[in-house]
Amino acid sequence: MAHDLKRKRPLHPLLPAKRVHRSPQKEDVSEHSGSERSDSPSRSSSPEPNRPQDSSHSHHAVRPPTGEELRNIKDATELYCSSSFKLQIDALLPRVTPKYQSASALESFLLALHKLLAAIPSHPPQHPLHAARSFADRAVAVPYVRPAPSEDTNWKVAFEPPAEIILAGSWATKTAVKAIDSIPHQVDVAVSMPSSLFQEKDYLNGRVFQKRAFYLAVIASAIANAKDLPCDQFYHSPSGDPRSGKEFDKLNVQICIEPFLADSPIPLQRLSPARSNVRTGSHDESSSEEPTPIYNTAFMLMTTPKAHLLSIHSLKQDVPGFGDALTLLRIWANQRGYGPGKRMCVRGFEKRGMWWASLLAMLVRGEEPRPGMVKASSKRKPLGKGLSSYQLFKASLDFLARHNFANDPVFVKSKDGHRFPPDAYSSHDATFVDSTSSVNLLAGVPLSSLDMLKNDAETTLAVLNQVNDPFDAVFLKDHRDAFSRFDIVLQLDMSSAEMRQPSAHLVADHGSVYNALMASMMSTLRRALGDRAKAVAVLHPTSAERPLTQALPVSPSVIHVGLILDPEHAFRLVDHGPSAEEQETAVAKAFRELWGEKAELRRFKDGRIVESVVWEVKNADERAHIPTLIAVHILKRHFGISSECIRTWQAEFDGLVKAPESIKSLYDARGGVSTGFKAALAAFDGLVKSIKALDEELPLSVLNASPICAALRHTEVFVPVAIPLKAREGLPPAASYLPTMDFVLEFEKSGRWPDDLQAIQKIKLAFFERLAASLAASVKGIHAAVAVQDSPNVRPIEDQAALDIITPDGWAFRAHIWHDREETLLSRVINDQPHVPKALRRHTETAHEVQAALAARSTYLRRFVHAPRHHRAVAALAHQLSAFSGTVRLTKRWFAAHWLLRAHVAEEAVELLCAHVFLRHGMPAGEGASVPGVPASKERGFAAVLAFLKDWDWTQGLSVALDYGEGEAAPAGAKVAGKLAAWALSTSFDPDGHAWTARGPSAVVARRVTALARASWDSLRALEAGEGTVKDLFRHPTAHYDAVIELDRTVAPRYYQNVDADTTVWAPRGKYANAPSRNDGGGGGPMPGFDPIAMYCDALTHAYDAAALVFYDAVGGDRVGIVWQPKLKAPLPFRALGGFSGKPVDKTEGKTKESQKALVVLNEQSCLIEMRRLGTGLVV
Amino acid sequence: MGSAKPKPPQKPKAVKHAAASASTSAASSPASPPTTVAGFTVLPVLYAPAVIHYLYAHAHSAPKHKSSKGKEREELPEGRTLFLVNVPPDATERELTVLFKSAGTVEKVVFSTGPEAPVPEDEDEDDDEKMSDEEDGEGESADSDEGMDSDDAPRPSKKRKADGTEAPKVTPLPAPALRHVRRTGHTAFVVFLDASSLARALTPPPKPPAWPTDAAAPRGLEHFTALYRAARPPLDVVRAHADSWVAAFEHAQAAARQGGKYRMGEAVVDEDGFTLVTRGGAYGKTLGGGVGVASKRFVAGVASDGDGDGKRGRRKKEKKEKEAFYAFQIHEKKRKDIIDLKRKFEEDKEKIEKLKQSRKFKPY
Repeated sequence: MAHDLKRKRPLHPLLPAKRVHRSPQKEDVSEHSGSERSDSPSRSSSPEPNRPQDSSHSHHAVRPPTGEELRNIKDATELYCSSSFKLQIDALLPRVTPKYQSASALESFLLALHKLLAAIPSHPPQHPLHAARSFADRAVAVPYVRPAPSEDTNWKVAFEPPAEIILAGSWATKTAVKAIDSIPHQVDVAVSMPSSLFQEKDYLNGRVFQKRAFYLAVIASAIANAKDLPCDQFYHSPSGDPRSGKEFDKLNVQICIEPFLADSPIPLQRLSPARSNVRTGSHDESSSEEPTPIYNTAFMLMTTPKAHLLSIHSLKQDVPGFGDALTLLRIWANQRGYGPGKRMCVRGFEKRGMWWASLLAMLVRGEEPRPGMVKASSKRKPLGKGLSSYQLFKASLDFLARHNFANDPVFVKSKDGHRFPPDAYSSHDATFVDSTSSVNLLAGVPLSSLDMLKNDAETTLAVLNQVNDPFDAVFLKDHRDAFSRFDIVLQLDMSSAEMRQPSAHLVADHGSVYNALMASMMSTLRRALGDRAKAVAVLHPTSAERPLTQALPVSPSVIHVGLILDPEHAFRLVDHGPSAEEQETAVAKAFRELWGEKAELRRFKDGRIVESVVWEVKNADERAHIPTLIAVHILKRHFGISSECIRTWQAEFDGLVKAPESIKSLYDARGGVSTGFKAALAAFDGLVKSIKALDEELPLSVLNASPICAALRHTEVFVPVAIPLKAREGLPPAASYLPTMDFVLEFEKSGRWPDDLQAIQKIKLAFFERLAASLAASVKGIHAAVAVQDSPNVRPIEDQAALDIITPDGWAFRAHIWHDREETLLSRVINDQPHVPKALRRHTETAHEVQAALAARSTYLRRFVHAPRHHRAVAALAHQLSAFSGTVRLTKRWFAAHWLLRAHVAEEAVELLCAHVFLRHGMPAGEGASVPGVPASKERGFAAVLAFLKDWDWTQGLSVALDYGEGEAAPAGAKVAGKLAAWALSTSFDPDGHAWTARGPSAVVARRVTALARASWDSLRALEAGEGTVKDLFRHPTAHYDAVIELDRTVAPRYYQNVDADTTVWAPRGKYANAPSRNDGGGGGPMPGFDPIAMYCDALTHAYDAAALVFYDAVGGDRVGIVWQPKLKAPLPFRALGGFSGKPVDKTEGKTKESQKALVVLNEQSCLIEMRRLGTGLVV
Repeated sequence: MGSAKPKPPQKPKAVKHAAASASTSAASSPASPPTTVAGFTVLPVLYAPAVIHYLYAHAHSAPKHKSSKGKEREELPEGRTLFLVNVPPDATERELTVLFKSAGTVEKVVFSTGPEAPVPEDEDEDDDEKMSDEEDGEGESADSDEGMDSDDAPRPSKKRKADGTEAPKVTPLPAPALRHVRRTGHTAFVVFLDASSLARALTPPPKPPAWPTDAAAPRGLEHFTALYRAARPPLDVVRAHADSWVAAFEHAQAAARQGGKYRMGEAVVDEDGFTLVTRGGAYGKTLGGGVGVASKRFVAGVASDGDGDGKRGRRKKEKKEKEAFYAFQIHEKKRKDIIDLKRKFEEDKEKIEKLKQSRKFKPY
């Protein structure tokens, strides 16, 4: 029966036929309703022979899919990024498009509005000021533009009911996209002003705009008086340009009433972009010949709403993927601040809906050929109409990323060829003429904003090509956070800004002083920074609607300027100008005009004498400030924005990884101090040389010395400092820390090493002794001591001995000896030949021995296998990416400041995290090549790391593309990773990813990292809004610790590195400046690497492993935080080996029977006393 | 020595009596904590005013089934040994001696974990792991982990830094009287000189005694400084220690070789007449002898196999079967690919559906 029915249905002439066609897709449609619109007619109408049987089996994955399904799947995988990407797009689209079906309330409102507008009585022509006065008592101001009409104006304003009322814009074409920051949807109502209101000369001096303002005011007052239209009304001027006034009605949507010109007596050829239509009064004729492109465009835009509506509609008809592609593009743009928004948005992209649509139109329809360009358009062939939405989206990104807007105007293919000659657009910054060939849709968009757009498109393309599941990063994340987006962020207070050479013409063209100033500021900044910056973006919140009583818009007074640097050029010290011979040319004048007193004639080494600007810096930190210096200089010189009105955060960030000034002067007073990573590396090379020179004295010669220390790869939080031993005497204890730099010595192979683990350690001692003795003999002033044990709980088979060396300059090193036989011996203990039967093994290991060997092997692998490799890879990266080392230093500082570094999160793990943030968009191809989206300043790098940490799902692990060079992966050594290894940072060398995370963070701590990153991210956002300081990100909240032990700052040798270091702690005080300090340890010589705070915390961690978590700041901390294990908070049954200090719990008498076990609870008080006792002398 | 841990359920009745009597006498104490917990006598110790640390004690009784451990019985004689639980992590022998002075003279203190000079088994693992079941059996043999046969060889003397008889003496590294920080809640045995002291020790004093301080062993900053200094002895001491240790090691190795069952270069033949074929060490034949056959390649192969589970030979034999030889194979493969494709698609769909549920697709 059913079979019969099915056969009959297609024969039915009415609706059912359609339904049957759809039936195989029903499931598809219901599951992702968004795809409904994108279904091409051809797809749904294709016949399928075996359809009747299909409906049931699509759930069974075992059966092969039908041709229909197969095509869907293939489409998804081939036309989209991946099949899941397609599904994600389908899921996303319905969430951002308005529900047109349920808009009946809106429709009835629009009907009522239509009726009202058509019925407004006409006003006779009046003098504009008189007309305005008639509204005054009714609380509607006429939004006349500047220059406002005066008493002696000789034209009149009037009102006639609109000739035509149409629904325009994206709502009418069903291409509306939800805006960011819960801004409601906009419905544009275009109201045609009758031609009888205008005269031929109205194109001059903004008369049309004045008339339109009056027209708008009449409508506004009519709506305000209408009782049956419940709504609020506002004026709105996009981009703060008062000429394009609009009205808002607030329902659940905003309705913009936009008067336009259908036909008018005004000759449109007068509005060619090359014409000047504003007479700036007193000026003579020559200056008024300068074109007024922005003005003309604003005028022309009044004539286009209908034409645009039609062109979009026809595009939608022709190109099935158009609607979705436009939606995707606009979501992408909204997420990056190219559109309306309440947070900081990129300037120039407000109300540019038509531009995004025309962009797609250009891609599909092609370009209008220009006479001047020879075959140039052939390089961009129009795309096919059948492309999927994703392909169109990607194509437009590709266009944005490649196109050079500054030099290359674009003309969308139009029906009737060019309306104005293409050359007429030369006065525009960027040109993108729409398909009606009447307006430049990019007029008024600053080139620097387009640079930003280009940069964002490049980054997104890199993400689409590189990242595994790019959907989130492309569409779902808000990318407007200035700190993770721009290398340098400046906050400007514009209230005092003033152009140095105000130009009446520019003001007239732009419509307001503010806009003219902004336009001039952006182009000047862009010119001054040149190739140093890839993009200079001005950000401010988009213009807000204003009440009807306010005629003119207000401009935001606080704006942000964001710079994206090109690391190759950004930190150049000298800018060259024209040479001395061209002193009098226009170029030279312009150069001097731009730079002012900074420009000077200089003679260079190669004999040239050129105008140049030199930025003087003292160190690498200051060098990173050059782009900021340039921006500040330009803003001050040309726009009168003094440095008090400019806020940057760079110096604050710098201060976090720099010793306080008083410490510096303390060091400087002692003389002979050398600082810097380069100096440390040089000292290391010198030491290696002198060790290699000892070949005669040592039984085996040294093959290699590999550094394994952050200070030797530019990633130590503080720049290494060396103070000669003599000068160290009398340093205040709070600044007496002498950090050591570890390295690994590898001797040539020899058969004479003993085949026993413990014996190997003793032989190492002998080697160290010999090395120390001969070094002391050969290098004058060197200090060398053998450290026989580096921690009290070390096992006898573990690598433990080291050699402390202090060079005559004061650099401290610590050498370890690598003997590769150890690993074999340890592996033998751990897993003694499993293929040999147990009975035949030479000896059997106890569980304890295996435990010890496992621990020893993990030390061995970490120290001798992973650390040198890691060091080389990170050092190479730091060399390649200039911002990397600064980012690592800030991030380490952040981890330390939140009491996690060293004890919970290894330094190397932090380096890997940072490397991931820098490498996730792919490796730089070569020297100097840069990948889009890679931070070029440490501040941005740090913000990007925070942004990554706050969203990182660490249960999934992380694969870091750090380049370890060729070679096979390391042996898996961390099988005992266990509960402490919550993070897995795998690299090509360490596929397990536990080399640096085996000892933490645990899941508890990993969750804390996420929470802390979120909190810091919020502080960063507050910072963007101008609240708080950078240090807020590094101040650790201590409320959630069960106990906090305060330490004595005066004896903590690293205290001077504290985030909030109190300088009085080390200030000279007391009677005798040269009195012996307390922790000289009885004057037994220097103590390289001695950090009692770290030792104390290690002891606490060791002793209270099962009872508490210990947190402290490894970089100059002065407190220790204790968190008791939560499971110990409740009483537990007493056990002799409970592993914690318990106190008996009082039980109610009478119930104490054998059945009830004796309970104990953690004795927090006594534990705290014990902890303080362990830290006698350290604890306050 | 952790191996001698008695199991709480085996507590002797005498202790119970003592505890019971103690509980009646101490009932009037102000804090009134229970005086016994699971058979252990609670001994409060005053840390600071109003802060009390609790020790738990009962008389030590050696496990019955370990009758062979005569030596242990000597060390921890039943009847005058007190088993203490929850010893403060930084406690030293002297501090415990002083604490129990009122009960009687303490002969020695044996901490259950960590190396401690007075205990002969100082080389034992100071591992924290809470005493696995085989703990008792392995206590002794744990000493001889040195990669040589210990079956009937004389105990290698190098392990005994103090009691080397025929071997060269090892010059020890200087060891100042430093505290050893142990795990919290660890245990210790207190051996009294006199058996009568035990009962006195198990009677809680009317007022909790204050925790004594061992002035000889510094704490805190001084401790860490001393620790740091002690780890960096003068060069000549290091040299003397290393040289003498290696000498003792070589001596022990030579002794082991002489006393061992196997001689260098001789085949190892078991009772059934089979010869044990072993791999030669990288540095000559391994100690026990055997017939060395292993080549470098074998060694490398075992190492690269990770576990070296001997599958190498078999793996080589797995010959490759042609995958798309017959038409049906090609057909099957295509079909399978398509099905896989669909399955993956369905999986993706489900995943997205799940994400949809979690309202993930709201971009803003």
